Amino acid sequence: MTTTLTASFQDAPLAIGGRSFRSRLMVGTGKYRDNATMVRAIEASGAEIVTVAVRRVSLDRSKEEGILHHLDPARVFLLANTAGCYTAEDAMRYARLAREAGFNEFVKLEVIGDQQTLLPDVAGLLEAARQLVREGFVVMAYTNEDLVTALRLEDAGIAAVMPLASPIGSGLGLLNPYHVRIIKSRLTVPVIVDAGVGTASDACVTMEQGVDGILMNTAIAEARDPAQMAHAMRLATEAGRAAYLAGRMARREVAVPSSPEKGMLS
Amino acid sequence: MIATLPRLHAVTDDRVLGEAGGEGRAVAAASLMAAAAAAAGAALAVHLRTRALTGAGLLRAARSFAAALGPTGAWLVVNDRADVARAAPARAVVTGRGGLSARDVRRVAPALLVGRSVHSGTEARAAEAEGADFLVAGPIYPTASHPATPAAGLDLVRHAAAGGGAVIAIGGLTPERTPDVVAAGGWGVAAIRALWDAPDPAAAVRAFLAALPASDAISLLVNGEPRRARPGTTVAELLRDLALDPRAVVVEHNRRVVRRDALEATALADGDAVELVHFVGGG
Repeated sequence: MTTTLTASFQDAPLAIGGRSFRSRLMVGTGKYRDNATMVRAIEASGAEIVTVAVRRVSLDRSKEEGILHHLDPARVFLLANTAGCYTAEDAMRYARLAREAGFNEFVKLEVIGDQQTLLPDVAGLLEAARQLVREGFVVMAYTNEDLVTALRLEDAGIAAVMPLASPIGSGLGLLNPYHVRIIKSRLTVPVIVDAGVGTASDACVTMEQGVDGILMNTAIAEARDPAQMAHAMRLATEAGRAAYLAGRMARREVAVPSSPEKGMLS
Repeated sequence: MIATLPRLHAVTDDRVLGEAGGEGRAVAAASLMAAAAAAAGAALAVHLRTRALTGAGLLRAARSFAAALGPTGAWLVVNDRADVARAAPARAVVTGRGGLSARDVRRVAPALLVGRSVHSGTEARAAEAEGADFLVAGPIYPTASHPATPAAGLDLVRHAAAGGGAVIAIGGLTPERTPDVVAAGGWGVAAIRALWDAPDPAAAVRAFLAALPASDAISLLVNGEPRRARPGTTVAELLRDLALDPRAVVVEHNRRVVRRDALEATALADGDAVELVHFVGGG
């Protein structure tokens, strides 16, 4: 499928940590029913940045293989996460292992603070962010939609802040557009909304807030047709971005006719 | 040297596999012996060595053995046929005089360990130079399997072990002769008749293991699972032993990341914890 956008859509590339990306949509690789479906969905999404997790290999060779048997690191930019880590120490451990895989210095830093909501532990997050930046990592930090935490993370030297739209895997969409807009307006580093998008309109509304990008996994992986949803997300991300760049009309609580009032028949 | 090469090797021959129903009996006997070894805290290696089967027949037999041995931690070793070993899959290949070199076996089956059958110190040096992981040296004592071949004696064990590699002695081995092999520097022993023809093969396994050293292995925790290995085993050897491609995993040793160029030089010690990770799907 090709994009239906016309040449009138002019946008700057997304720059993170000294690298430049054309797509503002980033996708995860978890929860797919099979690898072929995942590969088709990633292609349909047009995403360049693709997240992966770090886990133990199976010592029983008959079991599953790593995801790199299915993803070509020459075609996608692998962004390792620290998902599942509940302490700064664990998150740093996973980040260091991920870097040794040899693809890049980027890490999507997650320090989870609560099992039920998977909301971040911002104290642990800040501690890990500071240390990983010192070690030369390009840190993209998954966080609350909280301005002060975002400012502290930026002070710590992270490359992008990733406020959530709503809890991971919830599909509830953008719950707090105001706070996300505030974060975007106050930070210099890119703001990538991560987690909570459920369908294409959520992605569009999120991008309309003026954020730099969006990251999602479950909304695509758990769609009945993941490749089709990935295509929808691509269009919605571009539509929301274009609408933001275009600048929306003012809201008014009265009607204003679109057709001339003059020239009506008497 | 390799991480956890078993010290006791049960080698089949045409007699064991060639008769009608021989394969089923051999698989059953191998399971019994492997279980006896496991109960004694050791792993058995079962070598599939026969000219009675080729190609598909050998692969079918190898898969039967692999399925039966799997739960016991025993190794399946296929002689000569690297392709069959890879397809089964086996843990190791042993090639003999005129067989593929260790280097060429690795081209066919890079994940497998390679043993070379050697009959002199010179052959042992050559096998090690080409990268063999272990040596099967024999015949040490006169043997009914090769009545025309003169026994080389324990000197062959000494000469083969002089290069520092693991040497498995073969030819006329019994539990009674096993301590002499160990004293000569042998890592372990291989037997045909003394195991398969024993009235109680499980008891024969126990007798051999009692004569072999058991205590010099180190205990590791690999991905949370206990595992035994030879002292001085390197991380690279552990990966080979686990049939893991070092380019496809990242290694953590006692909570420190091991750089890929340090895998060969990082030796493991008793009580060490090793984590082997890779990328999986995630959000």
